[in-house]
Amino acid sequence: MLAALPLSAIPAEDEALRPAIRAFLAEHVPQIPPERRARSWMGFDAGFSRALGGQGWLGLTFPEEYGGAGRGPFARYVLVEELLAAGAPVSAHWIADRQSGPLILRFGTEAQRRFHLPRICRGESFFCIGMSEPDTGSDLASVSTRAVREAGGWRLNGAKIWTTNAHHSHYMIALVRSSGTAQDRHKGLSQFIIDLSLPGVRISPIRDLAGDAHFSEVVFEDVLLPEDALVGEEGAGWAQVNAELAFERSGPERVLSSAVLLDEWIGWLRAGAADAASTALLGRLLGHLAVLRAMSVAVTDRLVRGESPVVEAALVKDLGTEFEQAVPALLEDRLGADPAREPPAALLRALAYTSAMAPSYSLRGGTREILRGMIARGMGLR
Amino acid sequence: MTDDLLARAAAELFARHAAPAAVRAIQEGGPADALWAAVEEAGFADALVPEAAGGAGLALSEALPVLLAAGRAAAPLPLGETMLARAALAGAGLEVPPGPIALAEALPGEVPRGRIAAAGPAAWVLLPRPEGGAWLLPADGATREDSSSYGAVLRWASAGNARALPQADWLAAGAFATLAGMAGALERMLEETVRYAGERRQFGRPIAAFQAVQQQISLMTEDVFAARIAAQLAALPGGSGVAGLDTARVAAAKARIGEAASRAAGIAHAVHGAMGITAEVDLHLWTGLLHRGRLRFGAEGHWNAWLGAEFLRGADAESLAFVRARLAPPPLEETTP
Repeated sequence: MLAALPLSAIPAEDEALRPAIRAFLAEHVPQIPPERRARSWMGFDAGFSRALGGQGWLGLTFPEEYGGAGRGPFARYVLVEELLAAGAPVSAHWIADRQSGPLILRFGTEAQRRFHLPRICRGESFFCIGMSEPDTGSDLASVSTRAVREAGGWRLNGAKIWTTNAHHSHYMIALVRSSGTAQDRHKGLSQFIIDLSLPGVRISPIRDLAGDAHFSEVVFEDVLLPEDALVGEEGAGWAQVNAELAFERSGPERVLSSAVLLDEWIGWLRAGAADAASTALLGRLLGHLAVLRAMSVAVTDRLVRGESPVVEAALVKDLGTEFEQAVPALLEDRLGADPAREPPAALLRALAYTSAMAPSYSLRGGTREILRGMIARGMGLR
Repeated sequence: MTDDLLARAAAELFARHAAPAAVRAIQEGGPADALWAAVEEAGFADALVPEAAGGAGLALSEALPVLLAAGRAAAPLPLGETMLARAALAGAGLEVPPGPIALAEALPGEVPRGRIAAAGPAAWVLLPRPEGGAWLLPADGATREDSSSYGAVLRWASAGNARALPQADWLAAGAFATLAGMAGALERMLEETVRYAGERRQFGRPIAAFQAVQQQISLMTEDVFAARIAAQLAALPGGSGVAGLDTARVAAAKARIGEAASRAAGIAHAVHGAMGITAEVDLHLWTGLLHRGRLRFGAEGHWNAWLGAEFLRGADAESLAFVRARLAPPPLEETTP
């Protein structure tokens, strides 16, 4: 049985970052129309990412010797919360700042750290993550992209798919098989940092249903990787991948994906559209948001203390994405409740985007069904 | 006493005095004297009364484990209600009378009238007055109207010379007492459901081995976990209500827990199958508490509307800013040893 988490709060020293972030965002973000801000962490703007880097807000948790700010996870929590609530276009640096950088810091060699981390912090080096393959989704251990050792490095063949921002990124950190066969499952998998400008890498963007091309298929044909492309230990890829997942599942990005839409709607309510049913729905959504945020902060606090609340993080992600998906579903009903009233077009465009993309919220980073399986295991059912 | 010790003491007390058979007997109208005497002896009913006035001087968040434990046992007692009423009486410098105090939801009428829990002991009823404040009325002076298990409607010929309490948000106080018990009941119901799923076998294996059942119980786990955090949020001190309650946090928690209760009770019953519908199986002790609790002191509809209106009354432009300012624990200051 799971023990209850103690409530926790963000330390005052980390809260102290908030006003400067808000001031910066107030200057840079409001001119972006709501349907673009609704892209949340899928909105790409390399210039904006470099501007954040200029403020010292990329790699906030990396040590100062690598160009970071040496802050704790709660400082980054505050930053991410404000970025997502505002609908800032964070996608360019998102993966590097959130996953690739911390992975290199934890498992990389000193040379890899010195090369990559300062570039990430300056917003010059963007990363993507190569996990899924055409025949590998939730069953991640079945990856068949293969790196074969040869003189001076590795020869890479295979394909990754649904790779967010591959066509905008400089590097991919990919989970590939370096020994054995798919029957060996979790054994024989390794992680490589792949320079996407190398010969033999072919990137084909895939158009999504909202008209964007945020993800791609990446094919590797006899790509020759240098020796130092391997990150961490050969054969330890599976453990390394799982080590990053708890942070990835319980942060503000699992609660705030529909925040721009919610706040656009609130703006309309404040402009005179509030009726009894809308007011009650607003209260309901605020209550859910408050409870989810308290859970997310409590899980982050456990992570800060060096614990590994894997099941609790899965709970936050499943409940959080359910909330994110409920916002557009409930607002479609609300905004159509009075057929004689036309809501603002910008609000409807934000709704259209969010409704269309909301199914992805419970796919990315582990599907709902996989997460519920993890929770069931945590409850001793399997 | 630390949270843990207090929780353990409460769990032991309720295991001894509020086992399912005892709970059923009280619900059917039997006496609750032994259970209440044990609660009094442990000092639980005076948990929120300042030490100077003879209580334990606990904060709401410190007393929460006791209320969760009472909910886990489905103990039919106005324990949270008495805690809050006694804290308010002591705070107003009024004498605290012996015996359990039930909080009432005020109902309109020519005479003092209100609704209290249908089962469980009550020597006194704290009835909010239409013009603000509240009366403390003797329970045995009331006439009982046609009522249901959701609550007994009582009325008094007049308030007489009842003690009068100053203005306070008694609806939020009652909602807190109710939601804390519900959060405890949800946890116990989840444990019972997991246990049953492991014992009950079909197709040659425990039903817990089936993915369809696992996914349902995972969903229930999420709601129970959310309900517990919601109760902890509601118990944060620092508000201007009874014993430091804050109405906005209570609103969010009561509505969230009400939603969790409805969904989780449905899953618990689905997993228990036809056995769960029998009188013999204890499941209905918790599901019954949850259904009654949803309705008492404002259901989701009431508190959601209140919270939405509260947001619109304020100046926050964004949902997150409101949540941080009104519905979150305050930032932690660095403490120097």
